[in-house]
Amino acid sequence: MVDLATKSLLHDKLRFIITVSGVAFAVTLVFVQVGLFLGLLDNASVTIDHISADLWVTSRNTPNVDFAHTFPDTAVKRVRSVPGVAQADNLIVWFVTVNLPSGAQEGSLVYALDDFRNWNIPWNVESGDLGDLKRGQYFFLDDSAVKRYGQFAVGEYREILGQRMKIIGRTKDARSFTTTPISFIDFDRAQTLNPQSLQGKTTYVLVKLAPGADVNAVKAEITRRLPYNDVYTKKEWATRSRGYWVKSTGIGLNMYITVFLGCLVGIVVVAQTLYTSTMEHIKEFGTVKAIGGGNLDIYRILGKQASIAAVAGFLLGALMSYAMRPVIAKIDLKLIITPAFAAIVFAGSIAMCLGAAMISFRKVASIDPALVFRG
Amino acid sequence: MTVLEARTITKEFREGRGEAVSVLKGVSLDVHRGEIVALEGPSGSGKTTLLSILGCILTPSSGTVVVDGEEVDLGRPGRLPAIRRKSIGFVFQQFNLFPSLTALENVEYALNVKGQKGAGARREAERVIDAVGLSDRRSFLPRDLSGGQKQRVAIARALAGTAPILLADEPTANLDSHIGGQVLEMFRALAKKEDRALLIVTHDPKVRTVSDRVLQIRDGLIAADGLAA
Repeated sequence: MVDLATKSLLHDKLRFIITVSGVAFAVTLVFVQVGLFLGLLDNASVTIDHISADLWVTSRNTPNVDFAHTFPDTAVKRVRSVPGVAQADNLIVWFVTVNLPSGAQEGSLVYALDDFRNWNIPWNVESGDLGDLKRGQYFFLDDSAVKRYGQFAVGEYREILGQRMKIIGRTKDARSFTTTPISFIDFDRAQTLNPQSLQGKTTYVLVKLAPGADVNAVKAEITRRLPYNDVYTKKEWATRSRGYWVKSTGIGLNMYITVFLGCLVGIVVVAQTLYTSTMEHIKEFGTVKAIGGGNLDIYRILGKQASIAAVAGFLLGALMSYAMRPVIAKIDLKLIITPAFAAIVFAGSIAMCLGAAMISFRKVASIDPALVFRG
Repeated sequence: MTVLEARTITKEFREGRGEAVSVLKGVSLDVHRGEIVALEGPSGSGKTTLLSILGCILTPSSGTVVVDGEEVDLGRPGRLPAIRRKSIGFVFQQFNLFPSLTALENVEYALNVKGQKGAGARREAERVIDAVGLSDRRSFLPRDLSGGQKQRVAIARALAGTAPILLADEPTANLDSHIGGQVLEMFRALAKKEDRALLIVTHDPKVRTVSDRVLQIRDGLIAADGLAA
């Protein structure tokens, strides 16, 4: 069967390139904007995702993992007594100020646990032994701190809340949504760093379930025993933490607007080029009708052309987006393009182009085949 | 055997101010299988309108059209494309080839539209392209063909398949006299050989020389119907 749609589309190469570029632009815009958004959101829950806790006990109405509130650290004992709990430990997440050698002050988000090795945090240790944290005024610092603190090395000292502490290890990939560098300190040491706020307090209780335990039943029982706390599954807590930033900062709205604008640009470019092409080929479509074809035959041609433009534009846009990932990584941002996200963008590209072709459909329906007799 | 029949066809158009303009005022004609008919007339006489109605592109305001034994139902314009696919082949003044398709593909695509697909359509397209003497130009795009060659492709497209009626609108208007004569001779020979009825709308006096009959239309009426000289 002769493929008039493809041949006609590729016959005018410049127009084809313009159409594909329009789609590719829209696809790249969506990939980059949403990919960066997903990257930022990933930072908002990256510690939750990695910490090997099935349940998180928080103080009432804690909005996200970074903005923790305190409650008595004895709550952990009540959690440990709940049937189905294999392990429960206190976790402090607390914002502290760090004095730098330059004299500047910066912030750090401290994660404090009795034994980090039980909870898979930090999950990417570049140097140092986490077991040494208990031995003195020591802490681990994530590599991402370089951007705000400047270069640092294991063995150097920094002043945290006025106390001189030694860096004994480096970690990687531990980020917060606000880009505040994360440091890791022994739980007891963290309580003494800020006794007024943290003595006898914790901000979270991490819970690991016994094999075969029913997560909902354990969650309900902890909630019953700790009525002034909230209990979340890992997934719920990650969703809540991410959702806070989406709703409260306007970042979500910003993303939706950009995605909308990207799609709008794509639709306008594709619709305009397809419509112009339809007008230029109107006599050909009239010929199709004159030789016995119907509107459906022409809709198929336009639909196929729109789909080809969508696929080519998607591939080009995806390629450009993937090519931008290393560049974006250099400025410490993550561009996350998951297969599911790519599939949605692909389906969106097809829908966008077919939607744009609808404008031409209306024109085609009104073509009078008698125009083939006009000179 | 009559394959195309028109009885007291009228056609009115509305002008901008809503006034009715009568283009055809009661045209009747018959065309038989294997017959070559020239339809002559001055500009504005209604030739192309009549051709459009006979080709099931336009519906008449009144009257009857019978195409290959099927009476065209004026109340069902949606049926017209099916009649065109089955019974009519067109040749246009401007050739109207698809510029992105080769000569062979132009013919094969028309067969695809008519419902013939695959190897059968390809063989039929090759047959008619060979019949119009363009075996060595099969893979040429229209832009690489001369005017005469383009019109041969258009004739091949009309011949492809089994449509018993061929309608041609000024097929020599864009060709020089010599080439136009060659194309007409070839068209006539093929139509005769394949027993198709051929109706040619024309201003070109050469068409008379290849026709069996000449119809003259004036002011929306058949003014003369006689054997070609």
